[in-house]
Amino acid sequence: MSIVEAQGLSKQYDPPKGVLAVDGVSFAIERGEIFSLLGPNGAGKSTTISMLSCLLRPTDGDAFVDGHSIVGDPQAVKQVIGVVPQDIAVYPDMTARENLLFWGRMYGLAGAELKTRVDEVLELISLVDRQKDRVDKFSGGMKRRVNIGVALLHKPRILYLDEPTVGIDPQSRRSILDGILDLREQGMTVLYTTHYMAEAQELSDRIGIVDHGKLIALGTHAELVRIVGEEARVELTVDKGLEQMVARWSALGGVSRAVVEEEHAELLVEDANAVLPHLFEEAAAGGSRITSVNVSEPNLELVFLHLTGRALRD
Amino acid sequence: MRKIWAIAWKDLRSTARNAPGLAMMLVAPLALAGLLGFAFGGGDSFEIAATKVAVTNEDSRPAAPPGEEAPPLAGDTFADILTSEGLEDVLEVTEVKGAAAARARVDDGDAAVAVIVPRDFTAALYGAAGASTSVELYVDPTQEFGRAITESVVRQALLDFNGARAAAAAAAAVAGGDAGHDDAAQAAAAAFVRGGGVSEALVVTATAPRVGGDEGEGATTIGLVLAGMMVFFMFFGASNVARTIITEDQDGTLPRMMTTPTSAGVILGGKFASVFLTVAAQLVILLVGGAVLFGIGWGRLDVVAVLAVATAAVASGLALMIMGVVKTPGQAGAIGAGVYLVLALLGGNFTGTATSAGTYATIQGFTPNGPLLRGWDAAMRGGDLADVASHLLVPLAFAAVFFVVAVWTFRRRYA
Repeated sequence: MSIVEAQGLSKQYDPPKGVLAVDGVSFAIERGEIFSLLGPNGAGKSTTISMLSCLLRPTDGDAFVDGHSIVGDPQAVKQVIGVVPQDIAVYPDMTARENLLFWGRMYGLAGAELKTRVDEVLELISLVDRQKDRVDKFSGGMKRRVNIGVALLHKPRILYLDEPTVGIDPQSRRSILDGILDLREQGMTVLYTTHYMAEAQELSDRIGIVDHGKLIALGTHAELVRIVGEEARVELTVDKGLEQMVARWSALGGVSRAVVEEEHAELLVEDANAVLPHLFEEAAAGGSRITSVNVSEPNLELVFLHLTGRALRD
Repeated sequence: MRKIWAIAWKDLRSTARNAPGLAMMLVAPLALAGLLGFAFGGGDSFEIAATKVAVTNEDSRPAAPPGEEAPPLAGDTFADILTSEGLEDVLEVTEVKGAAAARARVDDGDAAVAVIVPRDFTAALYGAAGASTSVELYVDPTQEFGRAITESVVRQALLDFNGARAAAAAAAAVAGGDAGHDDAAQAAAAAFVRGGGVSEALVVTATAPRVGGDEGEGATTIGLVLAGMMVFFMFFGASNVARTIITEDQDGTLPRMMTTPTSAGVILGGKFASVFLTVAAQLVILLVGGAVLFGIGWGRLDVVAVLAVATAAVASGLALMIMGVVKTPGQAGAIGAGVYLVLALLGGNFTGTATSAGTYATIQGFTPNGPLLRGWDAAMRGGDLADVASHLLVPLAFAAVFFVVAVWTFRRRYA
């Protein structure tokens, strides 16, 4: 049985004319899996997680978390979820331990149980030695760990992580990703949102790709890559006339899609080795010179490009 | 309840670590009260309205000698002088029946001075040489300027009566003597001098309400000024703590709290508790500070406790309601300061309440802070719970409305 079942979730801000941030999203998350929502900024990931956290009420649809409706029984839902918000949401003028004690009480813990869980979580987030230091004295990565630790205090059945690695150094990011994988090993279900393709690819058992509030693809990494078949992505830069060159290249046989992305061109091609010489020939014929070439094997970014015609950018 | 206390305790600790905020909550009102009290407490007070005076005329007609018509009542003339058009800018006179009723108006803070015209006023005026009586002024000791004005007017009126009496005595002496017409003025002057000048048949005596057995103790100008400052800065103190709702919303900790199994009502309850406890502590410190630094006697402990709870409830409710309608800390600061300043001006935090009159007094009575200040005034004059109860109805009604609106806006925002 799924631990989360979203059924036609929609959220429109200031209806009826406001922005439709989430548009009829349906998916299910199985117990013990890491499920990622992958999409660019503004795709509707955070709004979806806010609805599943009972922080926002859906304008349409419903979702059931551990069997409890987010619309009909939000208090029961809140008992079984742990939420790690995108921005660090702990008290900077309190120590790490004081923060955990406070948030533990908000989750209904008390007495010896609270103290034990705080000690366990401090161990888990590797801050036992710094537990008596104020959070505003911590590095960004340490703050992130406290941010995650708060959501683990009451042993939730599912953990929501909303872009938890934004704006931190690579070492801290690595630490957080390893920690999430450890949680999965312990049987925790994780809902993870990110716009980093590599993170989704590394962590996830299944991935939902969202764009403009809609779930446009859902499956394992292998299933999603299969959408674009054997196509490869070719990234090209030229010295001049980029838009003109993209128009010429898109007309070539073997090129299924060609778009301008910032200061380079991105092409989906069936056989990179076969197409590359023609790309150079066409550039020369058009009076441009190719200054760099990068060929990528099929991946999630390519899937997003294939589905939306746009690149998934950090 | 445990969660409410956890939220309140967290906010209290945060407030205690905010040194500038504490300075504004505790030092500013004491300093301002000290400055204003010393500046205006010595008699050169400032008034914004006519002094409220309760007059009772108990004068009665003395028995007339056989065959003569009884003299007109001088007390009526005296009362007419006080209510004359020329004085209406400085005295707002209310005529009441009986000395007790007149004194009660002063006791209740409804008048600054009671003027009690004695039963033998006319008799003393028309009586034989040496007859005397006194007009009693029953004054609120904190209303020094109002007392000075009233006493000056009363003394001037009595001086006129006494002068007329002296002139009549001199004329009678002249008429009964042997002097010729040319010497009449000289003889009148001599009789006047022989009579000891203007014999003061009518004199003024001033009394004051009894406070806890010691007249006037505690009810000082600086006490009233500090009460005004205290209530005013409690509004700001409450606002400082309540503002954590907005800052926590922006910092993400409030939305995060809403994802825990903690209801919006519990969260707001925790916030209310922290605001209430903060301003209550602020109040206690200011009361003690006022007593130690300025020797202010705040009144009976039970009355002070009830007033403290009511004042803290009003300040807390108002602060939470304002936080319910603003969206940023900047808005909270600007709108809050504006609201508190307007209320302070309307309610009399800067001017006191006893001397206000007319429409202004009516408006004061319907602000959340005006009646509270009257309550503190009554407490300092030794009032008991019955004396302040009537002053608490409007503030407590305001506090309840503020809290209901705060809950409604909070639920609406985070539903």
